[in-house]
Amino acid sequence: MSGYVVGDTEVADTFAEAFPMRFARLLITAATETWALEAARSMTGFATSVIGCKCEAAIECLLTSSETPDGRPGAAVLLFAMDREGVGKRVLERVGQSVMTCPTTACFDGLAGAERTVPLGRSLRYFGDGFQASKVIAGQRFWRIPVMEGEFLVCESVGVGHGVGGGNLVIGAGDEDVALAAAQAAAEAMRGEGVALPFPGGIVRSGSKVGALTSNSMPASTNHQMAPTLRAQVADTLVPEGVSAMFEIVIDAVSEDAVREAMRRGLHAAAGAGATHLTAANFGGKLGQFHFPLSELRDPP
Amino acid sequence: MTLTLTLRTPPPALVVAAGLIPEQLRGLDVSEIGAVEVRCNGEVLAVGDLFDVAGTADEQLVLAGDLRRFDWIGAGMSSGQIDVRGDVGAWAGAEMSGGLLRIFGDAGDRLGAAYPGARAGMTGGEIVVSGNAGAEAGVGMRRGLVAVSGGTGAGAGLRMLAGTVIALGGIGAEAGLGNKRGSLVSGRPAEPLPSYAFATRFHPPALRLQLLRVRELGLTVDDALLRGAWARWSGDRTELARGEILIFDEDVRR
Repeated sequence: MSGYVVGDTEVADTFAEAFPMRFARLLITAATETWALEAARSMTGFATSVIGCKCEAAIECLLTSSETPDGRPGAAVLLFAMDREGVGKRVLERVGQSVMTCPTTACFDGLAGAERTVPLGRSLRYFGDGFQASKVIAGQRFWRIPVMEGEFLVCESVGVGHGVGGGNLVIGAGDEDVALAAAQAAAEAMRGEGVALPFPGGIVRSGSKVGALTSNSMPASTNHQMAPTLRAQVADTLVPEGVSAMFEIVIDAVSEDAVREAMRRGLHAAAGAGATHLTAANFGGKLGQFHFPLSELRDPP
Repeated sequence: MTLTLTLRTPPPALVVAAGLIPEQLRGLDVSEIGAVEVRCNGEVLAVGDLFDVAGTADEQLVLAGDLRRFDWIGAGMSSGQIDVRGDVGAWAGAEMSGGLLRIFGDAGDRLGAAYPGARAGMTGGEIVVSGNAGAEAGVGMRRGLVAVSGGTGAGAGLRMLAGTVIALGGIGAEAGLGNKRGSLVSGRPAEPLPSYAFATRFHPPALRLQLLRVRELGLTVDDALLRGAWARWSGDRTELARGEILIFDEDVRR
């Protein structure tokens, strides 16, 4: 199978390689959308890559008051880690430091009915120093933690699901501004139910490779094959001729299908926004359980 | 499937209706249900003597008619749902541990209460009443929800251990006497006992969730109660003082 074109955009004959991950979905509500968003942004900050941040997280979507358990505006957040224990630790840290601290917020489980859970309020309640109280509402236990503003309401535990992390799309163009605009269009199109784009604005410019050429201790280093400034310097460059900037969009999602469909939306959006070349990053197919060939994304969404 | 018992003949005296709960009727056919015995003024009557029986006994039971002479409806219930279309007598939902009891009418005294001498009353489940409730609702409650659209009589939440009693139309006098950790909620101005102390006015997030649940269960809950501020009174200080009475204060938009 060779590559193909979408309009004027060349799509490489390659695939994205992704890994099984565990995830939690949290619903953060607040008195206003602004405060819900503040909490969600804080909670998903510094959560771009498990390599350096121990988890990957992003805002999945904003929620109207009719979509939240307490009838207030909110945001849905997806947090991914390599195992359930990792999800539990990161959720507890981040809700404790970024959600409980944020004015007017409450925090709910967005994955009700999941077979496996990790404690949240059950652990966080101890911040209440003995003054915490619980309520069982419609069969679910919540904790009321007294704070200086009133009370922080948090669910007893959150569900953990099986997800997929590391799906990706690499977007290139002859002009840096055009490449970035195409990447932005792709990121916008890729966001949706069950999808997290953990990097800033959904876009990463410092794509990495596993390990390093110059060190045995580094877990990752720059993807020199996709660095345009090294195009004439390294023998194994993957930067197409005429391309001066490449951006990667990494996708974590709740299922294989969600990754695939996000990639499909992104590919066609990027092509329509001026990208000249589209490709994907992989490790030769030896590391990741999930492969997403770009050839399967030819049909528009 | 739903089993419907429609009152045909008013009983001559008070009836002990404690056995008319889904878990005890489940699997019985219409004739077997008609033969179920209830006690009335020391005598034994058959359900079929008092009610028209229709449907299949499963998780949902509907009782229809003026049931003010029927005490202990839903008492001891642990699962399933009972909808009562009419008023009920005393002790409805007493010592429930699970399930849902909805009364589309008024409830008598000791709604969801503990039996005399028992340390704990309700340990789970939900009771909603579209009318008013009599005295001593939620006595000795340990867990669960009692929600009344109208008011409750005197002594609601007496000796509460935990759980929640909501009276959208206001709680009566002497509410929460001996309350340890329970929540009493009054949608109208109320005068707490002197053993309660005013703490603050705030927007209680757990109450918001509970009010939405009550609305979901069929009661009318004004948006103002969801948006507004509530006064928190802590007590009973003759006990742990970890209980609370929440009294609707004003409509503060949030």
